[in-house]
Amino acid sequence: MKRFWCLFFMFWPITAVIVCWLAPGWNWWFPQGPAGDGLASSPLGRRIDDLFYMILVITSITFVGTQVALGYVLFTGARRGDQPADAEEGEKAWYTHGSHNLEVMWSIVPAGILLFIALYQMDVWAEYRVRNEFPKQVQSGPLAEVTARQFEWRIRYPGLDEEGNPLPLMAEPQPTDLYTVNDLHLPSGKPVMINLRSADVQHSFFLPELRVKQDAVPGLVIPVWFETKKSANYALLCAELCGWGHYKMKARLVTQPEEEWRGWLRDLHAEQTDDGVPEQAE
Amino acid sequence: MRVGLLIIGAAALAAVVGCGGQRAEFKSREDLSDLIPEAQAHVRQVLDGDDEHVGHFGSPLNSIAWERLPVRFHGAVGVFAENAGDGSGALTKLKVTLAELNRPIEPGQELVWVSGKYVGQPSPHVVSYDSKTNTVEIKPAVSVPPDAGDRFAVAPGAVLKHGRMLYAEHCQHCHGVTGDGGGPTAKYLNPKPRDYRLGKFKFTSTATPARARREDLARIIEDGIPGTYMPSFKLLEPEESQAIVEYVRWLAMRGEIEFKLVQSLKNDYSIEAVESTIESARKADEGLSNSAAREQIIAEMQEYLAGDWLEEFNDDTKFQSEQWRNAEQPDAVVLPKVARVPDTPESRARGRKLYLGQRAKCATCHGESGLGDGSQTLAVQKNPMTNEDYDTPGLFDDWGNPLKPRNLTRGIYRGGRRPVDLYRRIHVGIKGTPMPAFGTVLKDEEIWDLVNYVTHVPFEARERRPGDGGAESGADAPKVAASKSGPSLQVAN
Repeated sequence: MKRFWCLFFMFWPITAVIVCWLAPGWNWWFPQGPAGDGLASSPLGRRIDDLFYMILVITSITFVGTQVALGYVLFTGARRGDQPADAEEGEKAWYTHGSHNLEVMWSIVPAGILLFIALYQMDVWAEYRVRNEFPKQVQSGPLAEVTARQFEWRIRYPGLDEEGNPLPLMAEPQPTDLYTVNDLHLPSGKPVMINLRSADVQHSFFLPELRVKQDAVPGLVIPVWFETKKSANYALLCAELCGWGHYKMKARLVTQPEEEWRGWLRDLHAEQTDDGVPEQAE
Repeated sequence: MRVGLLIIGAAALAAVVGCGGQRAEFKSREDLSDLIPEAQAHVRQVLDGDDEHVGHFGSPLNSIAWERLPVRFHGAVGVFAENAGDGSGALTKLKVTLAELNRPIEPGQELVWVSGKYVGQPSPHVVSYDSKTNTVEIKPAVSVPPDAGDRFAVAPGAVLKHGRMLYAEHCQHCHGVTGDGGGPTAKYLNPKPRDYRLGKFKFTSTATPARARREDLARIIEDGIPGTYMPSFKLLEPEESQAIVEYVRWLAMRGEIEFKLVQSLKNDYSIEAVESTIESARKADEGLSNSAAREQIIAEMQEYLAGDWLEEFNDDTKFQSEQWRNAEQPDAVVLPKVARVPDTPESRARGRKLYLGQRAKCATCHGESGLGDGSQTLAVQKNPMTNEDYDTPGLFDDWGNPLKPRNLTRGIYRGGRRPVDLYRRIHVGIKGTPMPAFGTVLKDEEIWDLVNYVTHVPFEARERRPGDGGAESGADAPKVAASKSGPSLQVAN
């Protein structure tokens, strides 16, 4: 029976390691993304992935180490006889009040590792979340305002000036604004920023392929920036259980080259100023 | 292991508690129970069918494609034109004329004859289809060619079945299995989900008495209805959206026919009416027993159902189908004849005048400042269906739900925010609601003036209220854009 428990407790960590190892092949890992390589589709996303992998390596080493130690203890215990009286095989368990040196070690070493992670990730975090650290290109303002509501994403774009170029997006709706729903179009190849808000409850703006996730909080306007290298369609989901229709909040992010995006905006403008009168050839 | 147990536990819980208690059957109208049981049975038989009769609609799991209805049920529908084989031996290649091609014709699909000598025979399968020559190759071969003009359906019911699956996935939990707007989540919603059974849809591009077009419904599915719980289903494929539209139209037609069936029997064969008839018959003839009088009435009813009633039913359903068909005609679309009047302060001022004036009377419902608080919201209204006063003051729609006139200051336009959408809202009104059609009252230019005014209402300068959030404009965004737009709404859309 003791051997059974020894095997049982070793079986799970070994299975966990094997499954994690094979997971990417089964598509149980990060979403494949438009490139199909499973890498983040944004440069900042890559760095977030790097942080993730670094933490994964640290925790993996710790996990494997502790499991090996556990296995060793179980294994040596199992080799001992059941009968303490049996002098040849049996050996009594002993009591200990611990080792001061060991305690100090396993307090200081993890604390050091945690401190290292905390300091190491600060740049990425700042670039991702702190307005002043955002890339220069997005400091000029957001290109769209995304409003989450039960159960869809409503998007407001700035209107166009006389030459057909986008106006700056104002904080408040303007008569010239353009609207779409569940269809966020943005330029690719450069950092872009949106303003995120919520019309009702808490939602979460989630672009899994770009590793962007930001809660939309009622009453707040939250800037979110990201950059896609590749012009493609990306999934936009809600990642905060927001009500019974939470699963319906599927939308798409379409990124396209700047010129194409402007063209799309012009098409949208044409559609939204459509007065229905067929154009007559004169 | 624990996960497995959890799943089993959850499944057991769901089995005991149920998931909202939706059953795969069509619910009857409530007023069906006013009829005597024999009349009720007849209504159910006509709609759902029974052991001896095939109904016109069947059940959700066993739907009937009634040819009379202008619904795209099948993958493709066509008629046989001529034999395309070399004339020797068995016939495998048919030259056809397709009336509908809703899904690509693919090998392996069933080909069912709907008319002609092969009706009810085992159906052949499609082996290949050549769209250039309109030739279908079938297997097994037929020895005698069908007659020219024999109708057939390929992939029978494919669209309806697809629509049913998607409807169950996306729509049913609010709109209900029957399309009665009574799904399990409906009770949490305000406004209520649409009950299709009146055959009415609020936001259409067609004239006031006309039905909705397919594209009207598809647009609602794609864009949702802002300001309500109807979300956008933008990511559905066009084919999926079309399948849902067909299923919704089918449910709407079913509901309409059910309504008419009940109406046609209500006067003479409701429990109340039959009782009073028996009473008066007994007064006239002392010797008549209750059951004899009742039997007499039932016999009369059966006679009526087999004769005049059937004729009326056929006329009604043909007329109804015609109306749905007419809405699909290109000329059914309401389009402005005059281009939008330029959105100038003068135009808006004219619009404002109309808004307050006696001809359009917008302000009586929408209020002088557009807050949707006009005097009519406090008055007792008449129910247009029964011509009786409502019990409570305020406006109601044809479904009996209390209704608020749109608050125009919020900039939320349920029927769409394009100028043409707003034009249509004023020109044809909103169906099933007290919003009337102004197409005959106002000239196109006047409607455009109103559109210009209404779209400007959210931006009219008004007192800054706490929480308007006017101060926190985008970080470095230069202050440009419309000069007249004062502090306005929190949420635009």
